[in-house]
Amino acid sequence: MSLILLVLLAPLAGAVLILSLRKFSEVTALAAIGISFAAAYGLLIAGFGGATSQLVLPGLPEMPLRLLATPLTALFSALVATVATFVLLYAVGYMRTDPEKPRFFATMLLFVTAMQALVLSGDWITMLAGWELIGFSSYLLIGFWYRRTGVASAATRAFIYTRSADLGLYIGIFVLIGASGTTEISATLTTTGPAAVIAGLLLLIAAIGKSAQVPLQDWLQRAMAGPTPVSALLHSATLVAAGAILLIRVAPMLPNEALLATGLVGGVTAVVAGLTALGERDLKRMLAASTSSQYGLMLVAIGAGVPIAALLHLIAHAAIKSSLFLGAGVFQHDRESTDFDALAGSGRARPKIFAAFTISALALAGIPPLAGFFSKDAIIAATLEAPGVIWLLPLALAGTVLTGAYMARALGLLWRGNAGSPAGNVVWMGTGIGVLVALVVVLGAGFAPLEKLLEAELGASILAMALGLGAALIGLTLGWFVPMPRLLGPVRPWAQRGFVVAGGFDALLLRPAMMIAQGCEALERRLYNGVLKFGRLNLVLGVFTRKSDERGIDAAIFAFVARTVAAGRKVRLLQSGFIHKQMGLTIIGTGVIIALLLVAPLFS
Amino acid sequence: MIYELQIALAIGAALFGVGLYGALSQTNLVMIIMGVELILAAALVNLVAFWRYLHPEVIPAQMFVLIIMAVMAVEMAVGFGIAIARFRSRGSVEMEEARELKG
Amino acid sequence: MTIQVFFLAFFGGAAVWFGVVVFRTHSMVRSALALLFSQTAIGGMFLVMQAEFLGVLQIMMMATEMSVMAIFMVMFMMDPGGMGAMDMTHQKRLSLWAGAVGFAVALAAVVLGQWGPVALEVPSAEAQIEMLGIELMERSMFIFQSAGLTILTAMVAATMVALAPLKHGGKDDL
Repeated sequence: MSLILLVLLAPLAGAVLILSLRKFSEVTALAAIGISFAAAYGLLIAGFGGATSQLVLPGLPEMPLRLLATPLTALFSALVATVATFVLLYAVGYMRTDPEKPRFFATMLLFVTAMQALVLSGDWITMLAGWELIGFSSYLLIGFWYRRTGVASAATRAFIYTRSADLGLYIGIFVLIGASGTTEISATLTTTGPAAVIAGLLLLIAAIGKSAQVPLQDWLQRAMAGPTPVSALLHSATLVAAGAILLIRVAPMLPNEALLATGLVGGVTAVVAGLTALGERDLKRMLAASTSSQYGLMLVAIGAGVPIAALLHLIAHAAIKSSLFLGAGVFQHDRESTDFDALAGSGRARPKIFAAFTISALALAGIPPLAGFFSKDAIIAATLEAPGVIWLLPLALAGTVLTGAYMARALGLLWRGNAGSPAGNVVWMGTGIGVLVALVVVLGAGFAPLEKLLEAELGASILAMALGLGAALIGLTLGWFVPMPRLLGPVRPWAQRGFVVAGGFDALLLRPAMMIAQGCEALERRLYNGVLKFGRLNLVLGVFTRKSDERGIDAAIFAFVARTVAAGRKVRLLQSGFIHKQMGLTIIGTGVIIALLLVAPLFS
Repeated sequence: MIYELQIALAIGAALFGVGLYGALSQTNLVMIIMGVELILAAALVNLVAFWRYLHPEVIPAQMFVLIIMAVMAVEMAVGFGIAIARFRSRGSVEMEEARELKG
Repeated sequence: MTIQVFFLAFFGGAAVWFGVVVFRTHSMVRSALALLFSQTAIGGMFLVMQAEFLGVLQIMMMATEMSVMAIFMVMFMMDPGGMGAMDMTHQKRLSLWAGAVGFAVALAAVVLGQWGPVALEVPSAEAQIEMLGIELMERSMFIFQSAGLTILTAMVAATMVALAPLKHGGKDDL
């Protein structure tokens, strides 16, 4: 239990410390992530021993917050921790000259905390909280260099697109909680019937948003406006994985209709995003499109009914894509741009980095014995077994071919060209890349123990292996030798625009959202003016009260006083000082009294 | 005897009226005192008439008359003492000039 | 009875007439003398009404008092002789009305009142004196004692008021 706390609290404490001190940010960040790393692996090793730990925190009544460390969640946690550690290591070198380092490291640590909370969550509320927080941190990190033109709007767009899909998560969670009566995830996975179908489709929508599937794949490419470590951590291995992680965890519950929908969405994305990647002119945007495509393949695996294949591909892809991004970052550091024209020949200038880049590219394409081969093989095998094999298999194979094609094209563009002047040493960045590439190489061997751990063994299929290898080699050859315009052919204009349909999400989502925001601001202004008017009215009332008090009440009182004094002055005349007048008054008074006394008996 | 009581009482009433007129209309302090004397004398006349014609056996009525006479004398004495003091300080006892208590 | 009525009316009329003269004459001495005669006429009325002690007392006292008053009048008056012909009255209307109303009301009470039977028997003079003396010694002793004290106090006060203020210091040592 305390390991779970350590996994979460170490990065959080690090973030708070960096934000308050604003100094020693690198050391604090590395220390924090190191502790989290150790704790996550502690959980994983405990998981290998078959242990499951749980941490229950008080939350809403009857809805406590649970953090669960089963073998599955411990695996995810270890994955996040690993990628985060080495990306942060890389970021020490990447952000060395940036004046706003503390904000960067603090936000990255915040993101890591949120992601760990999401993968370790045992109930829907915690997952929802983690989901929202990673979206928010992504917004902060994409817009890190907010002073540059276009960055702030890119961050806003990315945030709004993913946010719009989160609605699916909310409603799906409500359906599940309503159907099963509890917020604990494992309990809600026993839902069946129409509730399960609806919930499954809604959760699929949420996954589409977070994992950049069709039709929401555009935001990931806009997200490349952020620093490269952000792209490496968030937009290849962790944030976009959240969608796939969600689907993997609820896979036991998904009925056939939802599975079919998932598979189709994934397959279409794999092809569409692959074509987009092929037509890209920017290295990071190509890698982003590639990420969408790979997650599409993962969704295909889930749709085929074998979540473990998706899981393996997720792990492999994490290591591969993050190392590809880190390598792209090194090239960006050299040429100050990520455009392919600017980067031409930068691979030749840095042979070691380029070698690492190549290894990862081949792994992604699916060449044995690298990790990508085993996971791709698993996916294709899964589609062969699936009920929807007619749809899923062609889409998966097409995705594989495209993967090879765009990676080979990228390699070619980086290699061919002028090497330019020799570049300086990059110790931190190189270390980060090196470790990840090493992982890429050895992970393939680790898949069997993982399958045993998660009690989901996959059978080996020769047909799948052959298909996969064949598709990969075809793709690589096409990409290296055939220039891109001829390869894409008639689809090229569409691909380069990112397959925008009907004005894209700019018109569908962004503009309405901004119009609503502006309308709210106008309303607020009107309310404010109304309140001001009310305040002025009160002021007028106050002045009126004061004046009426002065003129009305004071005047009345003073008039009363004046009249009393005047009456007194008149009565004073009686006090003339003359004795004879006093005697006269006395006689008159006595006469009146006698008259009263005489008359009184008549009334008794 | 038939109307003696009424005659005596009427005399008393007339004396009272005259005395009242005098007390209110005179400017001089001494004249005012004389008016008051007449009023008191009217009261005495009434008293004696009541004694004689209604209750002659009740002697305390005469007692009452004696007391009033004594008090009349004392009152005159005090009044004249005040008149002397006033004459000494102001030089006259005209009540028209005595405005010191004007408020 | 008619004799008594006649004398009663005569002395009463004299008293009233002299009373009026007191205030109508300009001469101060005449005014004092008129009052003297008025009071004497009242004493005569007392005698007619067979209250001899009171009548004699009245005549004696009033004679002395009016004489003293005449002296004082001469001392203090502006115009003792009355040759000045100045009008020495004020608020005439009010006083006339007061006097007239007082007289009218009293007369109305006299005429309209039911006085009951008139007494016929009157004790003799000696008997009256004896009864007065016994009354003085019995029931009215306290009244006269306190009256005596009050009169003494009044006399002392009157004397003090009439004393001239001392030239030096101005402080009395009483």
